[in-house]
Amino acid sequence: MQQPVDFKAQYSARVEALRKAFDRGDEAAFLAVLDELLHTRKAALLADLRSLTGTLKFALERFSLEAHLADLAENEIPDARLRLAHVLEMTNEAAHRTLDLVEQSGPPAERTSKTAEELNRSWKLFRSRKIAPREFKEMVKRMDRFLPVARSDAELIRRNLAEVLLTQGYQDLTGQIIRGVMQLVQELESTLAKLVRLAGSENATPRASEAEVPGRAFGPAVPGVTQGKVATGQQDVDDLLSDLGM
Amino acid sequence: MSKNTKFLVVDDFSTMRRIIKNLLHDLGYQNVVEADDGKTALPVLQAGGIDVLITDWNMPGMPGLELLKAVRSDEKLARMPVLMLTAEAKREQIIEAAQAGVSGYVIKPFTAETLKEKLDKILAAGK
Repeated sequence: MQQPVDFKAQYSARVEALRKAFDRGDEAAFLAVLDELLHTRKAALLADLRSLTGTLKFALERFSLEAHLADLAENEIPDARLRLAHVLEMTNEAAHRTLDLVEQSGPPAERTSKTAEELNRSWKLFRSRKIAPREFKEMVKRMDRFLPVARSDAELIRRNLAEVLLTQGYQDLTGQIIRGVMQLVQELESTLAKLVRLAGSENATPRASEAEVPGRAFGPAVPGVTQGKVATGQQDVDDLLSDLGM
Repeated sequence: MSKNTKFLVVDDFSTMRRIIKNLLHDLGYQNVVEADDGKTALPVLQAGGIDVLITDWNMPGMPGLELLKAVRSDEKLARMPVLMLTAEAKREQIIEAAQAGVSGYVIKPFTAETLKEKLDKILAAGK
């Protein structure tokens, strides 16, 4: 709304001129001052109208932002939480499946390696013509047993590796979900920023620095996000601890 | 320490517990029990029989640093070797853990060699 101006100060000179022109019977001067007065009044009205429109626009903008924010808070964020929980579940399943397959592959690989090593010992004796006939017979028998087992063990390991490969498909699926949640966070951020700008909250208190709470855990360091000095590898940790006398 | 050394592995992620357990098995340590945070670990420790504690830091409930402090302030457990195995890599945190009396500090992601090296070191020191 326009600032209130003392109407006497604003109009007295013109009213005086109007009265004088009227008294003189000077129609042209009278109409000129009257036009001037009407113009001033119109300009004031227009300014008021502009101000009202501005206020209305602000209210509408704020209303639509708040409605959008409410929708984000009531629907999108709980959805995002569920989506992230699903990501956690999928990564958990994939990691366990991979561990299952790796654990399954260990014993056959070990068995093959161990038996091959034993056979190799006899084989070397045989190649250098130092093998005893009894040991030779034994070697042949063991070879008969070993070859089909080695074949099926290698086949099992190959199958497990192929499945480990497929299990990594979780990255694609979880990646898509995480990207969706990132978009939501971005939307939320811009909506909140607009609201803050509309509310003109310039004196918001700055957030406390991360490092101020002792004993707090931050999770893995994220490049570009984590503040302060971060060890980039085990060597950094070892150097620091050795500086501390450990 | 012998291969009968009993480990308590504390991490809120079951996959990480499994990875550590597997690595310990590969190193010849078959005696491994698990807990998913400090709160569930502490009674296991207090019940006795655990020789080495391997703990994560960032866990809901009771974080690893608090568990470490609880261990160090418990007369029966105070001398137990504690290896912190964590993604927490801030300089101040490593210093904080050292001041709280951690025996070794390994940051994730880690290698089997690093785990072995640090375990050997803290087990040798504990003799």
